[in-house]
Amino acid sequence: MIKQIKKIVIVTGATSGIGYATVIKLLEHGYSVIAVGSKLESCQKAREGINIPTPMIKFFHANLANQQEVTDLASDIKKYVLSQTDSQLYCLINNAGGVRDWYMTTAEGYEYQFALNHLSGFLLTYLLLPLLKNGIVLFTSSSSHKHMKIHWRDIMFQKWYFVLSAYKQSKLCNVMTVKELNKRGIKSFAVDPGLVQTDIGTKGMTGISRLVWNIRKKSGCNPEVPASTYIYLCNHPNAQGLYFHNCQSVSYNKEVDKDAETTRLFALSEKLCGISYQEGLLL
Amino acid sequence: MNVFITGAAGGLGRAMAVECAERGYNIVLTDCDKIHLEQIKNGLSRQFDVNIETIVCDLTDKDAVMTMVQYLDSKHMRFDMMLNIAGIDNEGAFVSRECDQIVDIIKVNVEATLQITYEILKLRNTPFYIVFVSSLASQFPMPLKATYAASKRFLFDFALSLSVELKASDVSVLALCPGGLVTNPTVIQAIDAQGFWGKATTNRLEIVSRKTIQKVLHGDTVYFPGFLNNLFRFITPLLPRGIVANLIHQRWIKSQAKWLKTCREPSTSIADTIVKQGI
Repeated sequence: MIKQIKKIVIVTGATSGIGYATVIKLLEHGYSVIAVGSKLESCQKAREGINIPTPMIKFFHANLANQQEVTDLASDIKKYVLSQTDSQLYCLINNAGGVRDWYMTTAEGYEYQFALNHLSGFLLTYLLLPLLKNGIVLFTSSSSHKHMKIHWRDIMFQKWYFVLSAYKQSKLCNVMTVKELNKRGIKSFAVDPGLVQTDIGTKGMTGISRLVWNIRKKSGCNPEVPASTYIYLCNHPNAQGLYFHNCQSVSYNKEVDKDAETTRLFALSEKLCGISYQEGLLL
Repeated sequence: MNVFITGAAGGLGRAMAVECAERGYNIVLTDCDKIHLEQIKNGLSRQFDVNIETIVCDLTDKDAVMTMVQYLDSKHMRFDMMLNIAGIDNEGAFVSRECDQIVDIIKVNVEATLQITYEILKLRNTPFYIVFVSSLASQFPMPLKATYAASKRFLFDFALSLSVELKASDVSVLALCPGGLVTNPTVIQAIDAQGFWGKATTNRLEIVSRKTIQKVLHGDTVYFPGFLNNLFRFITPLLPRGIVANLIHQRWIKSQAKWLKTCREPSTSIADTIVKQGI
């Protein structure tokens, strides 16, 4: 694949697990990558593991659960992209996510998983819209979103926090966001990575839940498997479907097809991020 | 209901602010961290239709406190509830720290808390409700967190005495005594380093926030969240204090060693992150 201008792809949560495997694959396929990690040290460590000349990859770090940091990140990325020959983004992969064993609030007072797994990608996509004119947006969802409805009565699980419900809901939010973005003319897909051997279940967890994840992940696949789905979608931006697993469009939660649900979620998310996509699209 | 919250940009303060806003209370939030104060204000105003005022104030600066109080008074603000969340815990072994670091614990947890409570009481409505954030640590002598635990003991006893003094004036005072609270991602690692007991004594932030308000409104004077923490509270007074201190010392040393092994920044002590509240 010989191209004069490298297509730029952003990957969040790029320093480990699925994000890291995707970065490697993207580089192999000749894409230029902007990798976003949560900490400087993890970015440095990831950088050392990649044997590719510097111009192909650029690292940024930000705590995406914090909206101020998402905003700052977006402006840093904008500056960087505008300094490149292409000055356009080809693809944004909202992959960063996590599980938190305990109810915790972000700087904005939002429940941590909702903010990190859903709102961060929602906001980052919005902020990068000016660079994504013909670009595509991917979200890392999960098949665990399937048996879940939006918990409207208490969307932040403030009454009684249950880690898996909060996680599943955040992943359902990803698919719903994809649906709504497509309605607005922004090409978008959700990816179901399947059960993958990553550290997602150990970073924010303790005790038994951590043990369960460590056992469970043994039957999971290598992160390279879901990474190929991201590559597939980057290479086939006109693929038909919304929700992809193993490079194929597969079925998703019926809740996603309920317009009332998705528009309500989209409006709430806009409010919680203090943004309006309608205005953003006019820019 | 108008509520005054200190340490509102930190973990517990933020959760309490969310709880109050959810109940439809108007809130005045204060903290020394301007950026985070602005962020929590944004987050709350997007979710709830209540009045939210934020004031940046270093509570250890008496002049700043007086300026803030005068400002509140000039706007004719009166309060129905005050949540004293601001507090610090940057302790380790006494001689391993700078003296100022240790003294700061008393300055923030005790002096500043007394000062702001004194002033806000002048702006109170009746009935009035006050919450002091003490800690499970207030119940034991705590080697390696000696000053912190003692400062929390101060608040524990002070709250109880104050509640008796002000009962006739229709003021209810509650001492909240949580175990660990997960207020940021680092705390999860710290709890993990403490093993079983760490997790067992950790309280759920969302439940503690809600019940604290319920309890103070109900007129309770102390609130120890969690069954196990209550058990500790009743059992430990039966043991000689010297033995308790030794047991706790052993436990901190163990978890500190484990923490140092897993932690990437070896300079951070486990005592820095466990039971971190407020600021």
